[in-house]
Amino acid sequence: MRKNLQKMALFLGSTTLAMALLTSAHGQTMPVVGIHENTPNVVALTNAKVVVAPGQVIENATLVVRDGYIAAVGANVAIPADAVRKDLSGKVIYAGLIDVFSNYGMPKERSQRSSGQNGGSSDSEAGPAHWNPAVLAEKNAAEMFKPDDKTAETLRKQGFTTVLSFQDKGVFRGNGALAFLGKGDPGELIYASGIAQGMSFNKNFRTRNGDYRDYPNSLMGVIALIRQTYLDTKWYENAWKAYRAAPAGQDAPETNLALQALQPYASGAKPVLMEASDHLSILRAVRLADEFNLKMWIVDGGYAYRRLNEIKAAGAKLITTLDFPDAPDVGTIEDESTVELNELKHWDIAPENPGRLAKAGIEFAISAAGLEKPNAFLGNLRTAVKRGLAADQALAALTTVPASWLGLSNRLGTLQNGKIANFIVTDGDLFDADTNILDSYISGKHYEIADEPEVDVRGTYTLTLIAEAREDTGAVILAGTISKPTAELRINGAKIKAKSVEVSGGQVAISFAGDSIGIDGVIRLTGLLDGEHISGRGVWADGSAFAWTATFADAFKEKAKKDREKPIKMAEFPVVYPEGAFGRSAPPEQPEVVLVKNATIWTSGPDGILEKADLLVRKGKIAEVGENIEAPNSALVIDAKGKHISPGLIDAHSHIAAAAINEGTHAITSEVRIGDVIDSDNIHIYRQLAGGLTMANILHGSANPIGGQIQAIKLRWGAAPEGLKYENAFNGIKFALGENVKRSRASNNTRYPNTRMGVEQFIRDQFQAAKDYRDEWTIYNGSKKKSPNMVPPRRNLRLEALVEIMDDERQIHCHSYRQDEILALIRVADEMGFKVDVFTHILEGYKVADDMKKHGSMASTFSDWWAYKFEVYDAIPFNGALMNEVGLLVSFNSDDAELARRMNTEATKAVKYGGVEEAEALKFVTINPAKQMRIEKYVGSLEVGKDADFVIWNGSPLSTLSRCEQTWIDGRKYFDIEEDKAMQEQVARQRAALVQKILNDKSDKPANGRRGPRPTTPITMPETE
Amino acid sequence: MQHKIKHFGCLLILMGVVCIAVIASAQNSAQIPTPPQAKAVALVGGTVHTLSGPAIENATILFDNGKIVAIGSNVTVPADAVSLSIAGKHVYPSIIEMVSNLGLIEVDAVNASADYAELGDINPNVRAEVAINPDSELLPVARANGIGMAVSLPRSGLISGKGALIQLDGWTWEDMALKAPVCMVLNWPRMTNFNSPWVRVSPEQQKRRREEQLKALSGAFEQARAYQKAKEAAGESGVPFHAVDARWEAMMPVLKGELPLWVNASEIKQILAAVDWATRENVKIVLNGAADAYMVTDLLKSKNIPVIVGGVLNLPSRRDEGFDSPFALPLKLYEAGVKFAIAGGGSWDVRNLPYHAAKAASYGLPVEEAIKSITLYPAQILGIDDRIGTLEAGKDASLIVTDGNPLELTTHVEKLYLQGRDIDLNNKHKALYKKYRQKYIQRGHVAPTDSE
Repeated sequence: MRKNLQKMALFLGSTTLAMALLTSAHGQTMPVVGIHENTPNVVALTNAKVVVAPGQVIENATLVVRDGYIAAVGANVAIPADAVRKDLSGKVIYAGLIDVFSNYGMPKERSQRSSGQNGGSSDSEAGPAHWNPAVLAEKNAAEMFKPDDKTAETLRKQGFTTVLSFQDKGVFRGNGALAFLGKGDPGELIYASGIAQGMSFNKNFRTRNGDYRDYPNSLMGVIALIRQTYLDTKWYENAWKAYRAAPAGQDAPETNLALQALQPYASGAKPVLMEASDHLSILRAVRLADEFNLKMWIVDGGYAYRRLNEIKAAGAKLITTLDFPDAPDVGTIEDESTVELNELKHWDIAPENPGRLAKAGIEFAISAAGLEKPNAFLGNLRTAVKRGLAADQALAALTTVPASWLGLSNRLGTLQNGKIANFIVTDGDLFDADTNILDSYISGKHYEIADEPEVDVRGTYTLTLIAEAREDTGAVILAGTISKPTAELRINGAKIKAKSVEVSGGQVAISFAGDSIGIDGVIRLTGLLDGEHISGRGVWADGSAFAWTATFADAFKEKAKKDREKPIKMAEFPVVYPEGAFGRSAPPEQPEVVLVKNATIWTSGPDGILEKADLLVRKGKIAEVGENIEAPNSALVIDAKGKHISPGLIDAHSHIAAAAINEGTHAITSEVRIGDVIDSDNIHIYRQLAGGLTMANILHGSANPIGGQIQAIKLRWGAAPEGLKYENAFNGIKFALGENVKRSRASNNTRYPNTRMGVEQFIRDQFQAAKDYRDEWTIYNGSKKKSPNMVPPRRNLRLEALVEIMDDERQIHCHSYRQDEILALIRVADEMGFKVDVFTHILEGYKVADDMKKHGSMASTFSDWWAYKFEVYDAIPFNGALMNEVGLLVSFNSDDAELARRMNTEATKAVKYGGVEEAEALKFVTINPAKQMRIEKYVGSLEVGKDADFVIWNGSPLSTLSRCEQTWIDGRKYFDIEEDKAMQEQVARQRAALVQKILNDKSDKPANGRRGPRPTTPITMPETE
Repeated sequence: MQHKIKHFGCLLILMGVVCIAVIASAQNSAQIPTPPQAKAVALVGGTVHTLSGPAIENATILFDNGKIVAIGSNVTVPADAVSLSIAGKHVYPSIIEMVSNLGLIEVDAVNASADYAELGDINPNVRAEVAINPDSELLPVARANGIGMAVSLPRSGLISGKGALIQLDGWTWEDMALKAPVCMVLNWPRMTNFNSPWVRVSPEQQKRRREEQLKALSGAFEQARAYQKAKEAAGESGVPFHAVDARWEAMMPVLKGELPLWVNASEIKQILAAVDWATRENVKIVLNGAADAYMVTDLLKSKNIPVIVGGVLNLPSRRDEGFDSPFALPLKLYEAGVKFAIAGGGSWDVRNLPYHAAKAASYGLPVEEAIKSITLYPAQILGIDDRIGTLEAGKDASLIVTDGNPLELTTHVEKLYLQGRDIDLNNKHKALYKKYRQKYIQRGHVAPTDSE
């Protein structure tokens, strides 16, 4: 009773504890069967070096454990009379390590959740769960927890005593359970629950194709689901509050355990743990945390060093992992050719990631997650320390930092009076490669890690062998380690290395070859150490026995540790942006004034083509275009005699630089956003710059009639995703018609719609729903004052996007081919009151150009694609010219990473097919796409006041024999064909240096043996066009 | 059509028969094959790019019975010849596409319209020409831009079958086949693992698959050699009857070095493995695709292995490669002295072949070399340069008349002759253009031209 009261005292002030701390062998509630076990657990560990907290060390200290907690710690601690003493001379005590991102004790099986299209069994269907099987917020890890001592032991060996466990399925994974890594029942091991909600960008299970619950199957969809779920959580709270206040005459909101469980996380009262992986997904997590004011810990797969500045600026808290890759295979020239510079550099830099986080001042914890073999953890941690992470910071990241995040600094993480007795004992500095963890104490319970002999027999002894016929004298030197000593005998002047030595307690057994003392065969000795003397018996080769004695003469001296450690080789090359080939160390500078002189300037504006003209740029904007422009002396002057200048080319239909393109599950996914998944590392950005492209409109794919929201970017190579997004972009959305959306190529489509008839009805129906949604809000907002307890409508991001279209706040880019479907959508739009701004592809636009014009549409088409599918069999290369002649605004787009590198000569096809005048044709890839994206006020032509986005060509931009020499964006030179040559050489040099580093030091690789985690990737292949 | 009218208005009167054919075809979207050349034709006053020597300005090129009779500044034009003035125009050999599925596919995504992929891994006996659809709408589209000839290839499995060089005009595939077979197609197994994040096949599975394929390939050649030996021994005493095996029968010309293997190999490991294997098997190969060929130009030169560059308008095959690496490949082969041709590789977009060559030229390949890489060099690799590829007396009169350099997109191909036959340059696209212009003329959105 007294004991329990003491424990109760420890809990005071805690609101997060769901379970009681138990240190007895059985739970308090369990009846005792048989005899009560009441062995006291009071231990005084003396003469130890105690690392109370990172940087706070007490030499020669005593630590007293009483039951499950630390009763005293210090240099002058009175040892309680009831304490069992253990002498820990030469040993070090550290707080037990804490891993806040674990799945210890969680169910292992990865069964497919959900099943047949008409339901079937799924655990999400029992009870009022969330409709989406990836939203498992109400699940409690504690309820699933099954201790597994084999795994626990593995973790204890790495120094861990405490973990925060989450199940590994779902986007929302439920409440984590804080568990101790001892032996016992779940009730003894689970210390707390409800501390943090697990989340992930990877739902980590698949449903059968065609099930509506497949949603989301893309990273973009995952983020949209998270966004809607947090909105739903707020709504759920408000709706129930309103309903409870005035239930009469109102429908009750649905009951949803997941939304209920998310309340404290959505309010920011409790933290969520977000499993990200690479630097870009960390930035995605940061955006979500900002958007919903979440308290968030973000898991870093080891790539955070690639965007330290942005991560630091966001104030993110990271849980970094130590999954350092093996050296890539560069054994042959050909093998090397499959390895990228960024992979070589990742091998070189990854062990420095934790150190770099620390230097950048980012708050982080360290987790053993991601290691293929958990026993590689300590080794990798020590590598990280060798490679720049201060030992104290390493220790903090595994003790005080996680304890503080858990809100348990007063119980865990340091070795102070009253804290839970979770600690480890080592035989040296934890971060030294030779140090062993000897013991682990968890809730005061002792777990032996290394089976160290209790007796150290090492030393030099005088030796006497006493036989009937002879007496030999000399010495025996016992050396080596305590648990594996070696022996050397000196008998009659001969040096003999023992064949074997075995030590058990004070028993010593030695065997050695007798030839050097003139005896055939192997001689065996067994003796008992008693004080300073060993005495025992021996047997000659012939089986006859003799006696022997040895007397301690000199203490064992550890040989000066040879400097076995290899010199530390830090990473060779600085990080560039994006990391790998062709990355930049900094954004290109923006000269105050740039003057490009004597060029043929294709303005794509009212001035047409100007011969021998100059272009003046100030602070990234076009200041003047014309003849004989004067510039200040400080101006950067480029003589472009014989060159041609065009506006930066713009691609109105692109799928580069995104980590996901299609959320292809539902027929409407207007809530998903390409802007959530911009991939600033994508090499196509640079390759397209080299072809004179400066902007791309990144569209969602064509898997659904109403697709996702699109994102216009500038190709500011080196910027992070937010820096690529164009500031002045207009909101857009992708629609699609025809073969792709009716899934003509799927043999067993089960998703509505399956025909062009159905597509027309589907879109009409969705807009009707959006109108109803808008009306619902209008009514609510109008009567809210009169009836404050009216249950509010739920915000629906899917329908809100359609409302935005109807309000002309969002424009449609509609994938379309056949004239019938084009006309059908125009009629739906006319009827429902919205406009289809841009028809994209629109290969039969030439057949209904007059109707498109009347509706107010523009056309963004392929120059000359046809016959790749049935619905484009009537496509003609005259399409652009004819639509243009009828009066539509026409652009040519790429929809293709390769084609986007030569949009200038795509424009020439309007000259070739249909005789469009040259300056007019160039507009198909400059001002016209800008107009279609509603950004023509800022870009698309070389006119005063616009962004200084331009290209220098060595000939006419319309000539197939010309090439792009420089590409400028915002008055900054992002591509230069000469600089590119230098970069190509640099790539070759850096590759060669890293390959040599690998070849010269093949052994210098961590033990976990793989390439390291892959950045978050789309779950399905992009389906474009 | 527009341009034809503009530039050849007077000629149309002279060539009334052709003119009627053109109009008729424009109305029903089908072109009528041209009969064999009946009358000598002299193209007078243009610049003739013979590609066998320097261009000849203000020249006359005279052809009869499908063959070139004379080229030069002082060619006497027979009285009965049709003489056309082409002042200011240019004459080049017809362009040859080396890698296509023309005639074997109509619509990519419509499986029923595809005939290039037979079942199974070993199909040396199938031949492309017998499945060529002469009425494919794709053929007139390609030839309208001067591509008068193309190699059409099967492309599945390991040994896909035999490719054929066809002329893109004729009533039947027999009319069209200019040389068949021209090659045996071999797809070298992929030698490196895919490690793209979305590839779910494990590296071990990929390795096993590769080993199976390499075994199947060497097995096929072993069996073909056994068959060859047995056939050669026929009639000798003690040699019993051996039944015909169509597959190995088809391999005989390959084993004898009479028919080259076109080995599709792009990646360096594939190229090295293929060259090593061909050396040991003692067979003649042409590398097709060959993106990595620049790494081993010396080897290819020393072994005299020609390369068909599988498109210039390609992405670099590795992230670390320069953006211009595919653009620069032809130049590197040229500088190293490796025989090469440029292919576009496709079906509906064959018309863009000249712009692949143009891209190589804009990144350093001399323009004339770029033109040869789609005319003369293909003919040489196909072993038919005694008939096509250059403009010389005695060779086929297969040529184009243009208003400029065919590598420029702004250039128009105004005439195509195949063996002296004046080919209809109309096609489905021009017909639909004409048709829908009428819609907008009817509705007052577009002003009619003089001819409309």
